[in-house]
Amino acid sequence: MDVQLLLARIFDGLANGSTYAMVALALVIIYKATTLINFAQGEMAMLGAFIAYTAWFNFGIPMWGAVILAVILSAILAALVERVLIRPFDPADHLPLVIITLGLFLGINSLAGLIWRLDPLRFPELFPSGNAIDWGTARLSWYTVFTVATILLSLVGLTLLLNKTKVGLAFRAVSSNLESSQLVGIKVGPTLQFGWALAAGVGTLGACVFAANPVLQLEPSYMLRVLIFASAAAALGGLDSLWGALAGGLAVGFVQSVVVQYIPWVPNQMSLAAAAVVLLAVLLFRPAGFFGTAQVSRV
Amino acid sequence: MAAKKILVGSAQHRTYKAVVWGLALLALVLVAFAFNDVGQITLFDNKYNLSLTRINKAIAFIIAILGLQVIIGYTGQIALGQSFFFGLGAYITAYLVQDQNWGYLSTLAVVVPACFIVGVILGLPALRIHGLYLALVTLAFAAIFPSLVRLDQLFDITNGSNGKSVESKLVAPDWLPLDGIAGVLQGIPYFGQFFGDGDLSSREADRVWKYMLFVAVAAVCFWLVANLVKSRPGRAMQAIRDNEASAAVSGVDLARTKSMAFGVGSALGGVGGTVYVMELGIASPDDFSQLLAINFIVGLVVGGVASLPGAVVGGFVIALIPDWASSTQSVGFVPERWLQGPTGTLFLGALLILLTFFLPGGIVAGGRKLKAKFVSLVPQPPDLPNTPTAITTDDAVDDDVDLDAIERANQVQTT
Repeated sequence: MDVQLLLARIFDGLANGSTYAMVALALVIIYKATTLINFAQGEMAMLGAFIAYTAWFNFGIPMWGAVILAVILSAILAALVERVLIRPFDPADHLPLVIITLGLFLGINSLAGLIWRLDPLRFPELFPSGNAIDWGTARLSWYTVFTVATILLSLVGLTLLLNKTKVGLAFRAVSSNLESSQLVGIKVGPTLQFGWALAAGVGTLGACVFAANPVLQLEPSYMLRVLIFASAAAALGGLDSLWGALAGGLAVGFVQSVVVQYIPWVPNQMSLAAAAVVLLAVLLFRPAGFFGTAQVSRV
Repeated sequence: MAAKKILVGSAQHRTYKAVVWGLALLALVLVAFAFNDVGQITLFDNKYNLSLTRINKAIAFIIAILGLQVIIGYTGQIALGQSFFFGLGAYITAYLVQDQNWGYLSTLAVVVPACFIVGVILGLPALRIHGLYLALVTLAFAAIFPSLVRLDQLFDITNGSNGKSVESKLVAPDWLPLDGIAGVLQGIPYFGQFFGDGDLSSREADRVWKYMLFVAVAAVCFWLVANLVKSRPGRAMQAIRDNEASAAVSGVDLARTKSMAFGVGSALGGVGGTVYVMELGIASPDDFSQLLAINFIVGLVVGGVASLPGAVVGGFVIALIPDWASSTQSVGFVPERWLQGPTGTLFLGALLILLTFFLPGGIVAGGRKLKAKFVSLVPQPPDLPNTPTAITTDDAVDDDVDLDAIERANQVQTT
């Protein structure tokens, strides 16, 4: 077996996997807060990346400043969305909520198409170019290294935020038991709103990092596939586990790059299908994922 | 204005039903000949197409949304992957007609069982997972369909990215007096001009023939589903939708009922795909993307969830609105730049959110409210003699029932 090739595939998987993990993280945050899967998550993140691009290209803000601005703006937008579109509905009734997020999906996707047109844009590089490891075909680019660093930093930041701050405590209380937290005086609405804002911020950061990938271009449809990979990642890690999102994201990334390479009868175009099958298998045999908590329903 | 009350089952009700059905049939025939070729409305310098080709496409969508009514509307399983089955049906038909020389309609003999079986298999997760998880899995399958048909191994069957085109045409049979009907309609004073001029060209005749075929296929599907939801399995489906645990306690076989609902709904999706290929003559991978899957959901919700007429409204909405939105090139105060691009999708998304807020029952529910202002159907009270609330001619047990008295009583209750 060619070690260089294997390493190259693993590095590839690492880069893709971290992006999936970022979006999966956003899905997990919203799921933890509201037991809702936000189908518009990928599109919200895409919108954030476009905002960052505009801030950089049209207003001349330095790139990292633009990204931070986009993260803040998309957090505010998501908080508004939660207040106006999500909160009026009964959280236990899934269909209207799914429909609302699907409506958001269509709305944001076409709005971005209207504002920024459908031509692909060149997103500026956020990280130094070149390779950290250069060993024959096995190249680990600085992009990959910094992407992994970004997700690790976000995860540590989120863990600290949720475990060490008061608003994090409220968030965990609401996600573990909504009624009891209401009884002890936690304001549930604003806490969930905080969850949405947090998720949108993380998603936008992930989308910006993803768009900065030298081989990718920014266009309104570039997150469509990512949502499927990310939800497979989130389900694999357990929909309510933050670190599970990282594990799930990396696992899906490896499946995509390593398995598709080494199993001859799996054709190249099938990486998305592989993700779908992983998703299906996990939900069938271990619905709680590998790091999530199992749900028990009582009658 | 007080609504006119009609007692269900009375002679008046029968007349009412006959009139409604008669008008519907008349509308179907008129549409066929009036919008055959030129159906176009001009509004503020924008031209909106309403030709029969678009209506035919709408019928394909209507059948697929009818399938979603079975799965989502009546069984309450949030499945978003209808475009998968729509595409599957389309490709099976295209392959059988083009490469195996089958007739179009006979491919249904393969499409229906194939989509039923695949639907049951992809519905298996529904036996273990609920709500959002199921939505996720089914959306994932909708997303992979285009890459599935692009597989190199399937190139001989699906023709990859180019799409599978079908050369065989549907030709109107000679025995059908289409020209005669057109002639009669053209002879109507004042309105005759809307029905074109002279005999139909062969393309027009074929289009009308296709339309009639599609209407017939759709009518059979609606009849089957209408009967299904009233039957025992249909009631079981609705029991699952309303409360799964209590349905299980009442003896509903959850696994069997859900699988059946998935199978039936998916098979209808496949039939829709067949109709789609019959109309367009080509099945191409990007027509069956996850965007179509979401559009079907839009149709379902905008028309009205758990309502058969809702499927009809929904099909027209998703077939016509994106097209009309892109034909809208000038609206007074809006700069032109904002009218070019995916305005249709934006409109559908906005419609989805607005209706969920303001009219959860969809357009059909709105229509019902409107109708109730004019006509209200009063249900026949239960068969009487021994029920204490019954108003009979006298206190003794008597088979003769004073209908007027009941009607009066009902009027008191309903007003």
